[in-house]
Amino acid sequence: MAGGSIPVPGGLGSAADVAATEADGATWLEHLHSWVVTVDHKKLGVMYVLYALLFLVVGGIEALIIRIQLFFPDNHFVSAETFNRVFTMHGTTMIFFVAMPIVFGFGNYLMPLMLGVRDMAFPRLNAFSFWMSAFGGLLLYYSFIGGVGLQGAGSAPDVGWWAYAPLTSRAFSRGHSTDYWALALIVSGFGSIGAAINFIATAFCMRCKGMTLFRMPLFVWLYVVSSGLVLVAVSPLTAAQVMLTIDRYLGGHFFDTQAGGSAVVWAHFFWIFGHPEVYVLVLPAFAIINEVVPVFSRKAIFGYPAMVAASVGIGFVSLGVWAHHMFTIGMTSISNAFFVLSTMLVGIPTGIKIFNWIATMWGGKIRYRTPMLFAVGFLVQFLIAGLTGIILSVAPFNWQLHNSYFVIAHFHYVIVGAILFAIFSGIYYWFPKVTGRMLDERLGKWNFWLFVIGFHVCFDVMHIPGVLGMPRSIYTYEADRGWTGLNQIVSVGAIIQGIAIAILVYNMIHSALKGQEAGPDPWDAWTLEWATNSPPPPYNFAIEPVARSRRPLWDLKHPNDPDEPLEEG
Amino acid sequence: MSTGAQREHSATASQAENAIHLPAPTQWPLILAVGLTLLFAGLVTNVMISALGVVMAVCGAVGWFRQVLPQEAHEMLPVTLEEIAIEREGRRVTRVEHLHPVAGRAITGISTYPISSGIKGGFAGGTVMILLAEIYGVVRFHSIWYVVNLLGGAGVAGWNAPTEHDLGTFHLAAFLIAIVIHTASSFLVGLLYGALLPILPRHPIVLGGLIAPALWTGLLHSTLGLLNPYFDDHINWYWFALSQVGYGLVAGWVVAREGRLKSLRDVPLSVRLGVETAEPLKHDDEGRR
Repeated sequence: MAGGSIPVPGGLGSAADVAATEADGATWLEHLHSWVVTVDHKKLGVMYVLYALLFLVVGGIEALIIRIQLFFPDNHFVSAETFNRVFTMHGTTMIFFVAMPIVFGFGNYLMPLMLGVRDMAFPRLNAFSFWMSAFGGLLLYYSFIGGVGLQGAGSAPDVGWWAYAPLTSRAFSRGHSTDYWALALIVSGFGSIGAAINFIATAFCMRCKGMTLFRMPLFVWLYVVSSGLVLVAVSPLTAAQVMLTIDRYLGGHFFDTQAGGSAVVWAHFFWIFGHPEVYVLVLPAFAIINEVVPVFSRKAIFGYPAMVAASVGIGFVSLGVWAHHMFTIGMTSISNAFFVLSTMLVGIPTGIKIFNWIATMWGGKIRYRTPMLFAVGFLVQFLIAGLTGIILSVAPFNWQLHNSYFVIAHFHYVIVGAILFAIFSGIYYWFPKVTGRMLDERLGKWNFWLFVIGFHVCFDVMHIPGVLGMPRSIYTYEADRGWTGLNQIVSVGAIIQGIAIAILVYNMIHSALKGQEAGPDPWDAWTLEWATNSPPPPYNFAIEPVARSRRPLWDLKHPNDPDEPLEEG
Repeated sequence: MSTGAQREHSATASQAENAIHLPAPTQWPLILAVGLTLLFAGLVTNVMISALGVVMAVCGAVGWFRQVLPQEAHEMLPVTLEEIAIEREGRRVTRVEHLHPVAGRAITGISTYPISSGIKGGFAGGTVMILLAEIYGVVRFHSIWYVVNLLGGAGVAGWNAPTEHDLGTFHLAAFLIAIVIHTASSFLVGLLYGALLPILPRHPIVLGGLIAPALWTGLLHSTLGLLNPYFDDHINWYWFALSQVGYGLVAGWVVAREGRLKSLRDVPLSVRLGVETAEPLKHDDEGRR
């Protein structure tokens, strides 16, 4: 091996020393202040992820409460009212205050580094977006205290994360619990829209020299598409929340079926947001997989243009599928047929992506480190989740299974089996960049295997009570239904997953303090974030990097075999 | 040999700045966010909370504007360039070269049927399928609408267990849905034929016209009871299989007679999309490939 060193963009020297001295001399209060007033995309990214992990633990505890309640028939571990609150808060928390912030966190931290620039396009908007998202979550959880309201009714919201009308009207939802739900999502919605604007502006306006659109890492492309979906999809949700608030406080009748309003309009508004939201979350998961699979297969990504086209295609098609959540509402046959076909159409660009990831691995020299293990888990489980999605897109089949535990199993396969596995893969992959230390590999493998076993014990089995007719959101069930054993297996799987997540949390804390030092490029990777120190300095790159291909770091490492065209001299 | 990227990095390094401007930390976005949150929280707590929120939001907005107007506030971070050692790989990188068809498994298509042939084949096969199905409907039930309603009725929500008389009369919704289903299926399967026939060994029309329809019919036979039990009860599987074979043979024949095109897989995406015209590949690029 021909060793050697070359100046790369991250050279920082004394600047790092200066920063280190300042940090060392600071009191903990000054240190805290520096985080609170920061506009640095890396600190904001870390805060997004930590905030999301905190809520992951909260939402996970709520999931365990649900599973304990359903462990035995006729169980009364919690009251029916509390159960309704717990599953409402679990769904709302996991979607809005875990999944969205964590993908925003990854994007915030990584996008400027991958593009070779020093910050996001709008650093102050970035800080504002984070704080709005964070305060949205706090406002939602304040409902446990403040939701009682003037009428002395209510606590946390209990109308489900979809909050169908007319359940949300004042006649059926007294107190302020539903108001907290609506207002919290309006507040966090501002944050989401601000973050999306920032991602798009950064990708289109802030690339380093030579970084053309078709040299951008696929990670950035996926975030651009996901952010476009946020802009289109979150706005209807915010509008619907404003309409709901008008209904509840200003005598509006948008969703009041007794006064000429329409409950179906709410369902349309919610799912026009709700289904693209799945893609808002899964596209960043694809983004992570697009980086992990090539590096650990030691091959460039297969079919880059097709991957970009498929991502944009998924973005467009996903905007026209929302009413497959509403087949049982009673739409016209034409509408049913349209949404069946449009939903099936999503399978084409998604299939292209799966084929390309497999083609990238095919013939590669695969290294099964923890990030790759989670990525492979993602591939298998996302495929199964897609297949059950195609099953549910068939209207007659959907009529039988709608609002059953089959649907719950399907979307947990997407949210946990695909998105959370990809996020864990990303955590293991980029943790060394963020902290300068490696996560413990042995604990990582324990984390992976326990999580994959717990996941399949829980969510594979969960399909069966759904087929047997067990409805979603059910508080308890009679012993003679034949669901008891299945529910107990599902609950055991949930507990195993909880143990796996506890291992991850321990691993992160332990490794951040005592982990093996990572160095700038521990995985021998090819994108620009690995061309600077770990953790990167505040300005990312002392010298603006230059990209001559899709793998600029590969070009620097392989002067005799660069991706860029060879030049004479 | 040095790459352009390395030379450009080195050149830029010599011009490295001693200090870097970065946006200054600021509390105003946080204060604006607190203010807006309190503004909303006051709607369900106390109007004074909203009033406090408005004050904080206005302060936050003004403070933010003063951060960026008339000039954006920056902080200066001093920098001294330091080299980070990135290992240069001395190992030889293996690239997959074009393999001769007889030498290995990696046989990639060097010619393909045009996409239009798949579309034409799909619609031609779909027309023949309609004719065969209608012969069955007219001979057996004396109605051209029977098979149409049987296919399209799956999407008519209010149509539960229609009688044979119902199936034999015109029904607009079922007619429209049948058209959508049949057109989309013919189109997509036609495209599939266009893509797959070149890679089927030896007898593509036999494989595409007989074996593929037989497999497809078998798959449907085993699953249709779940998807559409009524359709399953009323279907005549012999005629169904015959109509599928008719589709496959005609679609395959139309695709095959359209002729093949040279594959464009080695040219850039922009050329394949028709945005740019093709230009000869550089010698170096060919060598690397």
